[in-house]
Order: sequence, then C-alpha cells, then structure tokens
Amino acid sequence: ADGGGGPVLSAAPGRAQVFATVVDTFLEKLVAAGSYQRFVNCYRCFYKLQPQLTRSIYDQLISQLEASIKEEIQEVKNEGNLEGLFSSLDKIVEEAKDREEPAWRPSGIPEEDVRSTMVPYCLKHRSYLRSVLREKEEENRKVAESVLMGRDRIAELQQLIQARQQAWQ
Amino acid sequence: MSVDPMAYETQFFGFTPQTCMLRVYIAFQDYLFEMMLVVEGVMLKKLDGIPGCKISPSQIRKCTERFLLFMKEHFDKLFAKMEEVLLQLVLNIPKNVLLPEDRVQEQYPYSKEEFQALQDELQQLQQQYRAEAAAEQALRAELEEQEAVKAELEKILQCFDGLENICREHGAGNFKESFALLTQSSKKLQDVLKDVEEKSKKMKQHDQLM
Repeated sequence: ADGGGGPVLSAAPGRAQVFATVVDTFLEKLVAAGSYQRFVNCYRCFYKLQPQLTRSIYDQLISQLEASIKEEIQEVKNEGNLEGLFSSLDKIVEEAKDREEPAWRPSGIPEEDVRSTMVPYCLKHRSYLRSVLREKEEENRKVAESVLMGRDRIAELQQLIQARQQAWQ
Repeated sequence: MSVDPMAYETQFFGFTPQTCMLRVYIAFQDYLFEMMLVVEGVMLKKLDGIPGCKISPSQIRKCTERFLLFMKEHFDKLFAKMEEVLLQLVLNIPKNVLLPEDRVQEQYPYSKEEFQALQDELQQLQQQYRAEAAAEQALRAELEEQEAVKAELEKILQCFDGLENICREHGAGNFKESFALLTQSSKKLQDVLKDVEEKSKKMKQHDQLM
C-alpha cells in the first residue's frame, strides 16, 4: 500500500498489505492459543516450584518465537523480492480490471507458445526485405536501361566504322 | 496442498507458491520445536541446581510434550488458514489477467498454418532478393564490358577521322580515291608477283628434269 503522500488511495488493500496482515493474525492467534495459562497447566510441577521463573521463561519463549517467525518472513520477502513483485502484480491486476474474459495461459507446448513471440520479429524482417527488394528492383531497372542504351551506342559506332571502312575501300 | 500447479504464478514469482508455503511451514515448525527444547533445557538446569528436587527430567519431558502437542495442533490449523488466504489472494494471478511479458500472445495469435505462411513468404522474398542481386551483377559486368568496347570503337573512329582531317589539311581531296587505286594496284602487283614466282619454280623443275 502507498506509504507516501500519494493522493490516490487504493480501494482494496494491496498484496503486500494483505500478506503482512495475514502473518500478523497468524502470530496473534498462535500466541493467544499458547497462553500463559495453558503453559502453566502443562508445567504445573515446575510452576509450583518456581512461579517467577516460569513466567520469565514463558515470556522469553513467546518473544523468541515471534522474532524468529518475523525474521523468516522477512528473509522470504527479501529473497523473492516479494514487496516489488506484489506491487507490480497489483498494478497489472488493476489494469486488467475491466476485462472479463479469461486471459491467455501457456499451453504447456513450447513450440506453440513461442510462435506468437516470434511473429513481431518476422513481420519486421518481412517489411525490411520488401523494402530492400523494391530498392534493388528499381536500381536494376535503371542499370538495365543503361545497358540497353550502351548496346545501341555500340551498334551505332560499329555502323559508323563500317561506313568509314567502305569509304576507304 | 492444492492440486493446481499454479504454473503461471510460478512464471511471475520465480517460485512455486505452494513450495514457498511449505518452506515457511517447515521453518516455523522448526523454530517451535527449538524453542521448546530451550525451555526444557532451562528448566532442567534450574532443577539440577535445586538439591532434593522431586521432579524428574522425564516429568518435564512429559510436560513439554503436552504443551507441544497442543501448540502443534493450533499451529497446523492456523497455518492452513493462512496458507489458503495467501494462495488465493496474494500469491495468485486472477484468470482474467495477462502478464505484460505475454502480451504478444494476444496481439499475434498466429496459428501453425499462418505462421508457416509467414515463414514461406520470408523465404520467397529472400530468394527474390538474391535473384535481383545476381541480375545486378550480370548487368554491371556487361556495362563494364560495354565501356571497354565503346572505348576501342571510339578509338578506331578517331583514327579514321584523323586520316580525313589530314587529307583535308593537305588539300588532297582525291587522296581517298588515289589511296583506293593504290590499294588495288598493289593487290594486282602482288598477284603478278605470285604468277612469276610460280612460273620460275616450274622452269627450274623443268631444267632439273632435263
């Protein structure tokens, strides 16, 4: 959820928020179940001997357990970059909110799925080929013209030379 | 554990949600057991220091087992609920959502045949281009040859023109005709010479025979 001064408030809590709330609730309820009363009931013999120590042991047990659990959760969040992923996913879901039909899902067959990823490249390649082909055809048309002109000129020169030759016979 | 493999979520998160939950479950459980062992240890140590204590270690162990059993039950129930919520609301991708990296799938839904047609078209274009390139080479080669031939022919023409200019300069208007006559006479002379040569050869042979 937004921590800063953004004017836009999300209507529903983001995934990160839900995650944190759910973990906190879990801990709360666990601690509530493992109440001091329950602890004393189990360790009655020791409690009778050392009531104060029992209390202190219990308090430490609970605080250590909470700390370890929170640390583990934090590690999981860091390793998986969960904070970032949660907020990205929230955005992606928000953008799709007006869409009702189910979206595409991988078919499990790589050859099928990879086709669509290749299509944009193929289309680009096709338009490139079309344009260089057109250029080349145009170029060749001009060169062909020059070649034809050249042939005419050579024929012309040959004729002139023949005429001269005859004049000198 | 749900049967749904959550493959799309795995693609997004880089891990399987269920595996993540399992890892966390095992870690939490381990902490719980560890803590209880520590509790036991502290109590046993304290009891050691009390002379004439009537509480045996096995009693303490029984206490621990009772407490642990109770905790584990609640732990499992609470964790199952937490896992359900997380898998449904947090570590999931709704059915109507398409990940940005997969946008092309909906932009270009090409069937096998359509894709093959596109590939064929590309191949055809490449062949056409190669043909044009070959044609270009042939054309340019001929152009080069033409230049060489043209140059030669123009040289020859220049020669002729040069001769005519000389004639004009020296006022020999009939030079062409005289040259033509000269060419003819020299041809006739050559023929006569040949005749004479043949006749003298014959005479020599005749002489030898005699």
